[in-house]
Amino acid sequence: MPNIGIDLGTTNSLVAVVMDGKARCLLDGEGASMLPSAVRYEGERVVVGREARDEAPAHAGSTFTSVKRFMGRAPSDCRADAALFGYRMDDTESRFVRFLVDGRAPVTPVEVSAEILRSLKQRAVECLFGEPGGAVITVPAYFDDAQRQATKDAARVAGIEVLRLLNEPTAAAIAYGLDKRDTGTFAVYDLGGGTFDISILRLDDGVFQVLSTAGDTHLGGDDFDRALADLAWAQILDEDERANSEEHRKGLLTILERTPSRHRALLLAARAAKHELTEKDGALVRLEAGLLTGVSRKQFEAAIRPVVERTGAACKRALSDAGLSPGEIDAVVLVGGSTRVPLVREYVAELFGREPCGELDPDEVVALGAAMQADLLSGQSSLGDDILLLDVIPLSLGLEVMGGVTEKFIPRCSTIPVNASHTFTTHVDGQTAVDLHVVQGDRELVKDNRSLGRFELRGLPPMPAGVPRVKVDFLVDADGLLRVSAREEHTGIEAQIEVKPSYGLSEADIERMLEDAIDHAETDVDERLLIEARVEAEGILAALDKALAADRALLGDGEAGAIEGVASALREAIAGADRERISTLSKDLDAVSAPFAQRRIERDLTQALSGRDAEVVGAELGLR
Amino acid sequence: MTCHACHEPVGGPVCVGCGALQAPPVDPDPFAILGLSRRYHLAPTEVEARYLKVARTIHPDKFVSRPSRDKQAALQWTAAVNEARRTLKDPVARARYLATGSARQDERGPSLDGAFLQQMFEWREAEEEAPGSMAAHAVALQVELEAEIDQIFSRWEGGGGALDAVPDRLARLKYVTGLLRPAGE
Ligand SMILES: Nc1ncnc2c1ncn2[C@@H]1O[C@H](COP(=O)(O)OP(=O)(O)OP(=O)(O)O)[C@@H](O)[C@H]1O
Ligand SMILES: [Mg+2]
Repeated sequence: MPNIGIDLGTTNSLVAVVMDGKARCLLDGEGASMLPSAVRYEGERVVVGREARDEAPAHAGSTFTSVKRFMGRAPSDCRADAALFGYRMDDTESRFVRFLVDGRAPVTPVEVSAEILRSLKQRAVECLFGEPGGAVITVPAYFDDAQRQATKDAARVAGIEVLRLLNEPTAAAIAYGLDKRDTGTFAVYDLGGGTFDISILRLDDGVFQVLSTAGDTHLGGDDFDRALADLAWAQILDEDERANSEEHRKGLLTILERTPSRHRALLLAARAAKHELTEKDGALVRLEAGLLTGVSRKQFEAAIRPVVERTGAACKRALSDAGLSPGEIDAVVLVGGSTRVPLVREYVAELFGREPCGELDPDEVVALGAAMQADLLSGQSSLGDDILLLDVIPLSLGLEVMGGVTEKFIPRCSTIPVNASHTFTTHVDGQTAVDLHVVQGDRELVKDNRSLGRFELRGLPPMPAGVPRVKVDFLVDADGLLRVSAREEHTGIEAQIEVKPSYGLSEADIERMLEDAIDHAETDVDERLLIEARVEAEGILAALDKALAADRALLGDGEAGAIEGVASALREAIAGADRERISTLSKDLDAVSAPFAQRRIERDLTQALSGRDAEVVGAELGLR
Repeated sequence: MTCHACHEPVGGPVCVGCGALQAPPVDPDPFAILGLSRRYHLAPTEVEARYLKVARTIHPDKFVSRPSRDKQAALQWTAAVNEARRTLKDPVARARYLATGSARQDERGPSLDGAFLQQMFEWREAEEEAPGSMAAHAVALQVELEAEIDQIFSRWEGGGGALDAVPDRLARLKYVTGLLRPAGE
């Protein structure tokens, strides 16, 4: 089954797939590709999408929208934002955000996101007539480690295998670049519902190289809605007061209260008016019968200008990190629904000194790019094998050192995967543990950066102070996620590392959610595991088929027979329901084909290193 | 190192005996990793071309449906290749690597001599009198140091001369470059 690409958006989410060499978004029963990222809890039932969004005012206490803004954040950072959406936070939990829900247990943003993902996956199952393979899920390029991890957790709760987290602007560039096979330097300006990203990329001969990225994970169309809602509300009160001040005063509305449900209705009305203002010079914000007010485009633009201008600083920083001036950008690509706002377009044109292009649908382009990457990762893509994606880490990683100062060990915009190592020692005789505090951000002081986690190295051999040398390796993987390992250099003892994420879910939290999720989805664990085993097996078979087709010559005597024997047994097993057998045969196939696979890698590496200097190198590396 | 799969000794990315992809060396030589001979005069385009060639074969994206051991190795190799590229594209890091065996300056670095520091002190004083004079001095010295480093390496590449003076010149270069950086960066 094909892999899928998912754009998990603040406002709208989409799922796409590559079929017959072309990426397309999968549609719901009504022919829509966008699933509004809104979830309503109704006892055991969960309503996701348009209905949940449109009926939010009537169910203010059990409907959640824009939860992406809360992913991977500290409760203390979220109070103000939660109040703006009218969400009540569960104050008994300090490690992660949890919302109170009318009529049921509190939910985390991860669980809400998982409902959206589950609904998209269900759509894929219906459109593809079967379980999809793995998924590429997009995240804002400017998401930090905790926000990325939360996204991955949500996928896990939803029973989706994540092949890769892909940055949204990079996904858009893939959709543009692969479509046209362009060469040049591009700026991707992505302003969606809740996040803003700017990425500068170079495209050359199938290589997508991100040069820099910057952004703001709390800036988007939601802020336009809020500005317009506040403006409209002030006018309604104003106009209402004038009406009241005369003889009608008694018996009419006394005080207009901004109740949670009216607040939700106001936001929806503001959004509808905002969309109208994209086309027209004026629009009405209709709150409820008798309560409405007119807003001109000029007024709207004055209200949102400060928000729009906040994107400028990030654009300048991205250009400077890439070492480029605006004139060196060949094209500016607009992504995200909020780039439809005329003021945004004007501002971007002014900033880069050129008209932006937006040939592809700004709503769908991220999902399409994600589907293309998912297809490329399948190892048997029709889009070509020569494609290489080089992305970067958006924010520097650092350690807390004396005096609350951050010492950077990986600078922002480094190409990932990237690693760094640091050696630590002890300060007290016989000390057997060392604490490390890892932070993310570019500020000097630890307190101004995001705390990622505390790592405790334990089990050091007791030695005099200063003697142990603990080497800690930090590795940022291709998803932009940090992995840490450590060893004591004298003894070679692998130090145990206990990771205490500052904010986020523990393994136990996720397992509990998985159990809940499975109860509620009424599929049992065995079935879930069987599906996972099949997906994995199919992936291995597909990769093998491709390798055999290309490099049969590299097979040793009798090797082909052995491999094909296991492969056909595995194919039979996949058709059945014996999970153990599928897993065992998958492992067997891996083992029996490993030497062949490694021969191919070796051959590729040698070829890559070939040329004038290769012999020297080969000898140095012990290749030959 | 011994191969994680067949436990025979191994020195490169791929075990000669059984073909398993190994974890990359702890202290990798960026020239060897990218298949380039050791030299200072190296065009960024040459580094980039080699980098892309190697990255295409070992990038984690190519190992998504492989066992986790291979995924892990691909990750580490690519990180090592990325690091090698960064070192070789930056003339200062490249020079430092060739001269000291490490691309990064260690904590202490070579100490700058008194005469040099005295000179810097004089520039700072002169700056008070004639604003802008320090930058002019610094730019001139920067050019001079870069030319000197270039010459040392030309001699070395031609088979003569040592690199002993390089760490000191790099330390001076770092100092003057610092003078030219706008405050607050
Ligand atoms: N015609 C329009 N005029 C103005 N704004 C629009 C228009 N169409 C959509 N939008 C706004 O675009 C936003 C949604 O954009 P999009 O679907 O790209 O966001 P998202 O992908 O859900 O969010 P993010 O990428 O930030 O996670 C909403 O704020 C919506 O109101
Ligand atoms: Mg989006």
